[in-house]
Amino acid sequence: MEEVDQIKTRVVGIDIRETRTTYAVVDIRGEIIAQDYFNTLDYPELSDFVNALSERVLTLIEENGGFESVRSVGISSPSGNFITGCMENAANMPWKGVVPLAALLQDQLGMAVAVANDAHITALGEKAYGSAHGMKDFIVVSISHGGLGSCIFTNGQPHLGVNGFAGEVGHTCVQVDGRQCGCGRKGCLETYVSDKGLVKTAEELIAKSTEPTLLSDLEELNIRTITECCEKGDRVAIETFRQVGIMLGMGLANYASVINPEAIILTGDMMQAGKWLLKPMRQSFDEHVFHNIRGKVRLLVSILKEGERDVLGASALAWDVKEYSLFK
Amino acid sequence: MNKTAIKKRVVGVDISSELTTYAIVDVRGNIIAKDDFPTTDYPEVNGFVTALCERIVGLVELNGGYETIRSIGVSSPSANFMTGCIVNAPNMPWKGVIPLAAMMRDQLGLAVAIANNAHVVGLGEQAFGAAHGMREFVAVTLGSGMGSSIFSEGEVNLGYDGHAGEIGHTCVQLNGRPCGCGNKGCLEAYTAARGIVKTAEEVMSETDEPSLMRNIEKLTPRKIYDCCEQGDKLAIEVFRRTGEILGLGLGNYASLLNPEAIIFTGGIVRAGHWLLDPAKQSFEEHVFHNIQGKVKFLTSDLSESERNVLGASVLAWQVKEYSLFKE
Amino acid sequence: MNDYYNYKTKVVGVDISNDMTTYAIVDIRGNILAQEMFPTSDYVDVNEFVAVLSERIIAMIEANGGYETIRSVGVSAPSANSLTGYIENASNLPWKGSIPMAVMLRERLGLAVGLSNDAHITALGEHAFGQAHGMRNFVVISLGVGVGSCFFSENREHHGNQGFAGEFGHTCVEDRGRRCGCGHRGCLETYAAAKGIVMTAQEMMTALDEPSMLRNLSELSPKTIAECCDKGDKMAIEVYRRTGYMLGIGLANYASILDPEAIILTGGIARAGKWLYEPTKQSFEEHIFGNMRGKVKLLVSELDNHERDVLGASVLAWSVPEYSLFV
Repeated sequence: MEEVDQIKTRVVGIDIRETRTTYAVVDIRGEIIAQDYFNTLDYPELSDFVNALSERVLTLIEENGGFESVRSVGISSPSGNFITGCMENAANMPWKGVVPLAALLQDQLGMAVAVANDAHITALGEKAYGSAHGMKDFIVVSISHGGLGSCIFTNGQPHLGVNGFAGEVGHTCVQVDGRQCGCGRKGCLETYVSDKGLVKTAEELIAKSTEPTLLSDLEELNIRTITECCEKGDRVAIETFRQVGIMLGMGLANYASVINPEAIILTGDMMQAGKWLLKPMRQSFDEHVFHNIRGKVRLLVSILKEGERDVLGASALAWDVKEYSLFK
Repeated sequence: MNKTAIKKRVVGVDISSELTTYAIVDVRGNIIAKDDFPTTDYPEVNGFVTALCERIVGLVELNGGYETIRSIGVSSPSANFMTGCIVNAPNMPWKGVIPLAAMMRDQLGLAVAIANNAHVVGLGEQAFGAAHGMREFVAVTLGSGMGSSIFSEGEVNLGYDGHAGEIGHTCVQLNGRPCGCGNKGCLEAYTAARGIVKTAEEVMSETDEPSLMRNIEKLTPRKIYDCCEQGDKLAIEVFRRTGEILGLGLGNYASLLNPEAIIFTGGIVRAGHWLLDPAKQSFEEHVFHNIQGKVKFLTSDLSESERNVLGASVLAWQVKEYSLFKE
Repeated sequence: MNDYYNYKTKVVGVDISNDMTTYAIVDIRGNILAQEMFPTSDYVDVNEFVAVLSERIIAMIEANGGYETIRSVGVSAPSANSLTGYIENASNLPWKGSIPMAVMLRERLGLAVGLSNDAHITALGEHAFGQAHGMRNFVVISLGVGVGSCFFSENREHHGNQGFAGEFGHTCVEDRGRRCGCGHRGCLETYAAAKGIVMTAQEMMTALDEPSMLRNLSELSPKTIAECCDKGDKMAIEVYRRTGYMLGIGLANYASILDPEAIILTGGIARAGKWLYEPTKQSFEEHIFGNMRGKVKLLVSELDNHERDVLGASVLAWSVPEYSLFV
């Protein structure tokens, strides 16, 4: 119909991680029309990566509706800053310093591009399609990407802070002179509660343990394998998650005491541990949270699927950026 | 009545456990008239409300008349802005849940808003003080307790239930000092008045070194500060340790919120650089690296006696005008 | 205490209007500490204008506290766009085309510069210090050479998608009506702004035979016409009555769409007082959506004309982030 104006009903969501970059065409209802991925590490040079990603995205679009059907692009990136559109000093990525990701991709794609960090993206996804739908004041904590990130929503809007860096709960200090963190400091929550922190705690407990444990027989210590040992009743495995849960609960309690959200939503691979982590976490949370807030904050686990959440969130971000066209 | 102009004045009230102050304030923050009386004179809340309202009416009649006042803002410990009540205030003579805003509105016939001190201080600093022009900041109050208010997108963020900002009760030391709230290791147990005195006792017991503090019968943060000014090494160490923990707690806070600035108010801030220099150093050590060097530490310029009633006057502007008679 | 924890409490407000450019140092409370002006038309070359303005501002600052006391600068100019920092095709300024005024001043002054048009600036001034204080949803109308407006929604000014919102003067109130400078016919501005009022007077003098003091005036202007009203001249009063009628319709349409708490009239024409206000108010109440009748306040600015624009510009100065050569 030509008598009235139309909007474009699709966007592209891109999720850049240390090992894998995923990209998808997503429609207005959150249906993933088409999706593909490649190894980030195949492109240690930034310009090669940007070229490869752009080519692949354009191909996917051409095969699924064509260029005119896509409104804009949203990207989830470690240390992504929504305000500047840059990836800023990402500790685990091959490209260092301040990378103007949004501008580089906008030039190649000819479409508006927005960048945000994975915690912000996850929160957008949860608000649009997941556990935070209908909430205005909540926090999404994501334990993934080797670290611990979060995004605060107040009054229905993300609280990014004056420079766009708000939410770095993983780098709050929970133990003075504690474990060494990749960021340079000691005792960061992330050094206890991320997948790497989990493994370190497991190793410490294995070394200290006087009883035999299934963990020593494992080829690889990770969330899944340790959880399996818990299922089999292994005491050291259970204690590992208990200690991680205590630290997580305290970190979240401090968070809740200052922000007083309606809910805290947990996401990430760590949630596979289920009750082994969540029960001690809940107990520690209740012990440490300010009394007027005790019992008021809901602790939820994301209902979105792992493979989907980040591209869905990135697609939600795409809708937030103003449309751009080289051709006015 | 001038129908083409708004009312330019409000009343700001500050209720503390000892003194209740009330003032008429205009749109520019000029205090037209002010008076006070001891809160403790009225152990019964109905008596208190009646006395306060009578006094307010008296002050208003002497200064322009009733029709010049738009609304009333009240600062009180343990007040909840959303419900308009004082809720289980530990240090006040009146217990339980007290619907103060409604009680005052009934007696005065004007709209009344009530909020806790940290919220009110934040409003005052934003309107007239160190946070003017800022949209993202935190106002911290340090006195007998430690509280804060969070401002986001230019407005206060009270959280889902109205309790946001309880930084004093974040845990900075697992199994640390017991706190009046029932938990252990709360930031307040180290940085508020009693915590500073306890740190002084700890410092003095760790060493035999002489110190002016040992001669003081009842130590207070003020007296410890006086010792610092006289060069006393142990006194300086007391504030250094306090600053270190304060910086840690605030560093964590800033990593979560990424504010433009943290504004310090309250009696303890008079310790000046003895406290703030170690606090800033510790803060920069603990805050997330991308935020390092970006957050300003500012102290309020407003005078102690003014700050609370000015903030309460700002609160008054935020409540919708009330009239018994629907126009 | 260490200067490190202090903050700047003053800004500079600049008002560039078609005839005069005024600049002032204003403090946090809106007190004008120093103010000067010079004719805009003295500098036909915009580069020269910027150089002279900057020199004068710096001299004023040095004579009043020094450079380190100033936080930032706010500038009001016709046809200015606050989102881009440009003056765009100002019809009555000596300089044409797109002028990056904010950047030009910032380079000379080394201070952050905010730029916006006078309707927005007036609204900021009324919100901070005048009739809109404490309101979250309101409209400020400026009546002068043209008719401009700025509205606030939920405490934030509404700029619109490109920054052009508020062109109330160019809404059509009469199909195939008077010709407007913008190219359309029947624009509100052709009835309610200065030239429109004069034209109404001329039309009446031509159409009617009645004697009138208007016929004897050497200069026909809104001001002289109002003076005739004060002396009881029937035709003069009728000029303003007709003007008020059209203005009231325009305002009623505006209010029916936005449901503001108040509409505030500012600008030279508003000084016509009751001669304009009363017929406007009557027409407004006649034409507004039924559920809003009697609920929307129609107010008149009380800020002094000499103050209003530099005060509003000073408010804008606070909202722009501080500038530093060193990021």
